[in-house]
Amino acid sequence: MRISTAMIYGMGIESVQQRQQDMLRLQQQLATGQRILVPSDDPVASATALDLKQSQALNSQYQLNGGNAISQLTLEEGALATVTSVLQDVRTLAVYAGNASLGNSDRAALAVELKSRYDELLAVANHGNGNGQYLFSGYQGATQPFAQASPGNVAYAGDDGQRMIQIGPSRTIPINDSGNAVFLAIKNGNGVFAAAPGALNTGGGIISPGTVTNPASWNAPGNPKDFTIKFHVSGSVASPQTTYDIVDNVNNISLLTGAAPGAGPYLRAYTAGSTISLKTQAPPDTNATPFDYGAMVTVEGAPANGDTFSVKASVNRDVFSTMHDLITALQSGVTANAGSAAAYQNSLNASMLGLDNALENVLKVRADIGARLKEVDTEQSAGADLSLHYDGRLSELQELDYAKAISELTMQQTQLDAAQKSFLKVTSLNLFSLL
Amino acid sequence: MSDGIFSIGVSGLAAAQAGLVTTGHNIANASTDGYHRQTIHQSTAIPLATGSGFFGQGTQVDTVLRAYSGFVESQLVDAQSQASYYATYHAQLSRIDNIVANGSVGLSPALQDFFSAAQAVAADPSSIPSRQLMLSAGEALTSRFNALAARFDDIRDGIDSQLTTTVGEINSYAQQIAAINGRILSVQQNATQPPNDLLDQRDLLVSQLNGLVGATAVDQNDGTINLFIGNGQSLVVGQQSMKLAVAPSLNDPSQLDVGYVSAGAVVPLNQASLRGGSLGGLLAFRGNDLDAAQNALGRVAAGLAMTFNDQHQLGQDLSGALGGAFFAAPAPEVFGRSNNVGTAVVAAVISDASALTASDYRLTYTGANYTVTRLSDAATTTYASLPQTLDGVTLSLASGVAGVGDSFLIQPLRSAARNMDMRIEDPARIAAAAPVRTAASGANAGSGTINAGTVNAPPPPNANLQQLVTITFTSATTFDVSGTGTGNPTGVAYTAGANISYNGWTVQLQGSAATGDVFTIAPNSGGVADGRNALLLGGLQTQNTLAGGTTGYQGAYSQLVAEVGNKTRQIDIMSLAQKTVVDQALQTQQSLSGVNLDEEAANLLRYQQAYQAAGKMIQVASSLFQTLLELGR
Repeated sequence: MRISTAMIYGMGIESVQQRQQDMLRLQQQLATGQRILVPSDDPVASATALDLKQSQALNSQYQLNGGNAISQLTLEEGALATVTSVLQDVRTLAVYAGNASLGNSDRAALAVELKSRYDELLAVANHGNGNGQYLFSGYQGATQPFAQASPGNVAYAGDDGQRMIQIGPSRTIPINDSGNAVFLAIKNGNGVFAAAPGALNTGGGIISPGTVTNPASWNAPGNPKDFTIKFHVSGSVASPQTTYDIVDNVNNISLLTGAAPGAGPYLRAYTAGSTISLKTQAPPDTNATPFDYGAMVTVEGAPANGDTFSVKASVNRDVFSTMHDLITALQSGVTANAGSAAAYQNSLNASMLGLDNALENVLKVRADIGARLKEVDTEQSAGADLSLHYDGRLSELQELDYAKAISELTMQQTQLDAAQKSFLKVTSLNLFSLL
Repeated sequence: MSDGIFSIGVSGLAAAQAGLVTTGHNIANASTDGYHRQTIHQSTAIPLATGSGFFGQGTQVDTVLRAYSGFVESQLVDAQSQASYYATYHAQLSRIDNIVANGSVGLSPALQDFFSAAQAVAADPSSIPSRQLMLSAGEALTSRFNALAARFDDIRDGIDSQLTTTVGEINSYAQQIAAINGRILSVQQNATQPPNDLLDQRDLLVSQLNGLVGATAVDQNDGTINLFIGNGQSLVVGQQSMKLAVAPSLNDPSQLDVGYVSAGAVVPLNQASLRGGSLGGLLAFRGNDLDAAQNALGRVAAGLAMTFNDQHQLGQDLSGALGGAFFAAPAPEVFGRSNNVGTAVVAAVISDASALTASDYRLTYTGANYTVTRLSDAATTTYASLPQTLDGVTLSLASGVAGVGDSFLIQPLRSAARNMDMRIEDPARIAAAAPVRTAASGANAGSGTINAGTVNAPPPPNANLQQLVTITFTSATTFDVSGTGTGNPTGVAYTAGANISYNGWTVQLQGSAATGDVFTIAPNSGGVADGRNALLLGGLQTQNTLAGGTTGYQGAYSQLVAEVGNKTRQIDIMSLAQKTVVDQALQTQQSLSGVNLDEEAANLLRYQQAYQAAGKMIQVASSLFQTLLELGR
């Protein structure tokens, strides 16, 4: 085959240029550390890398959100820890207030201390979240959640909203609890029903919180959940005959007789400390329709004639009212008559029950926060693992294998050298130089 | 006899001289473009018949030939035309390839920043700095879209100007070829010998013309050639050359098309018929890839704007008002063909972002029906009337009446990225909150709970969305609903966990309810710390909102990057392969027609020696004659 001189030069130059082009590309790769300089170098890897980068960015955003959630939850947990310790202190004081050796002045002093605890609790309930928002106001971050119209009468201005934050691809968690859930939604009594003395009681009857013996019966549809226990005392002062009746206030009948409630004496005889069961006891009950509401209470001491005790389904009673009731009871003190002492004791009992319920509620919220914190932690560490995985994957896709690239560079250097030298050799062979 | 020796010597001398001249010409033109090596064709002179036989009369030079093969040449020209096509195509594609995945000018980083900012707003909705950051990130995102669109528009404008230049060059080549045709004709009329160097020049021009556009050369008997391009449009006929010109496209006035000048008017050519050469490369790139890439980018922009706006309008801003549009709504473009006879103005609106494709559409009126053609795959759909919705685009007749044969080009997405803009400037207007909140009454005896509720898509939200609605249980299994807009139904059956939907919201109740339990759905007034809608906005990033619900914003963009990358790679490989074809064709052509200087040096020696030998013959003849003269002395 004939070779033209132009070909010798053209192809020689071209092969040198090709080598140089390859080396420039390799040099760019080495300088940037990237295997892919433009998408056409590896279209699939480029597109995958873009998607991965989004996942990576999302993942770090979730990590950031998680950190945010932890800080908010920790803040709330701190506030609730304060609430817990305040309530525990108050409860200790309430127990101490039951001490028979206390005088009214001691009680007044306790009331002063409790008042400051009350103010502390109110301040905590209006805590900020560090971003200029109230912690316990639901969605209405700029609204002060608790405002006191008069002592013990605290109105909630927030709502039930829970602020959510996304901590994982498919997980959002609440980072607050509403003031309603923490301070307001607390059932009084034993949580199912509340037993309370009548306001006009004069005797020494002290009622226990009572217990639900059969939840199914209590929750049965026919249960009116509103009863009055009426006492009647006859006989001499030396040997009083105390009897009681249980009235269904909704249907206005005596449960013992099945008829409209009448005057005493009543069918059931009362012994101090004995169980008063909301269940048919025949005899002495004469009600043709037996009843069983699955609950019982105990009354201690000696109720006076006409004293009443109510048993009603629990309703929500906020922790501020509960504390205020305790303060009022302490401030009122005890007078000489038996009724006053019993009223004081009944009031203390109700307050302690209310405080226990409030504590239990706060602890429940704190347990929930703990669970959320744990979940964020889990997501955080999963996210950290994921981040490493994404990094590894991205580096696999995009980054240059330096060892390979450098050895390739050396090889191309050799090739370029050979191309240049051989070009010189070939072109220097020329017949004209011999003429 | 000595006369014969003398004349043979002279013929040898003349032939050697001709050889030397031709060799010298070859050496001088060794590096001339398009030059074909020339050789002399030598033959014996007519012999002298005598009684003793035929005596040779020396040599004669018949002609000077160029080493030329029409077959090899046409192969080389075709190969070079294709190579030029691929090289241009690849150069244009590389420009997109360089843009789309670039970390500093690509879309992905801006997209991620924007959604990160939305998440930050969700985490702290009342914070003005967070909201401001989201607005800034939104600005950065829209300007990134705008910048990418501007790059695409630059490329499109660049193609227009390259088309203009290329068409000018083509016209110039056509003129020169016609001129050389004329010279060859006049030379051929006077002599029978081939005008080698003129032919070389013409071949070179044809080869250069083919680098610009594929042209077919047809040899004529008189030595001229005719050239045809496209679907057989003549560019050169004998000494006549025709003209090409650029003119705004009939279909899409925003770009130029190549046309054929006939009787002073520009007749549009079928752009797809202009194959090969850099012109073909430019047109193929614009028609196949630039449009598709720009539409794919537009789809991300339009999809983002529409889906984000939809969700944003379901939220509530810091002042308690319902959210407005966050981004400007995309506006499809419709171009009526400039020679339409009717008065119709066609309007196009994007009605479903998820159904959008990256194609343009053509609407034609046949007199009875409207035919819509999806240009990417030529799929047609026929409608008896408008408005109609196809692929998420609703076409309607805005005014006028369509004439028979009228045609409209619909570009739903071409301008979407260019016109991407923010509609919100006040950080407080970001609708981070949900417009309603729910509550269970504290006096409820049952254990029923109500969830936070959601606002029903699509926007606009129900007019009574923010009316106070109360759900009151009349028994454990039924409830009444009261509030403006609900129709105050009574005795609605309660199923735990079932959707309860009125006034454009949906809530679920769980647990067991008791008679008299009350749940309320109220406007979320003062809900500045609520980030529920911002969470949903942030969540759009990972939702498959585009391409029929198969991919998200980033996914659709990655798809564009992959498509551009793949195509660039493919054309790059084609281009490399074509280069090999050219190399081989060139080697074949050069081995036949190229000048080898060593060979010429050898020829130089050969003809020099032949000359010397012939000279010696004359000397011998001369001495023979001298001998005769001395005899007579």
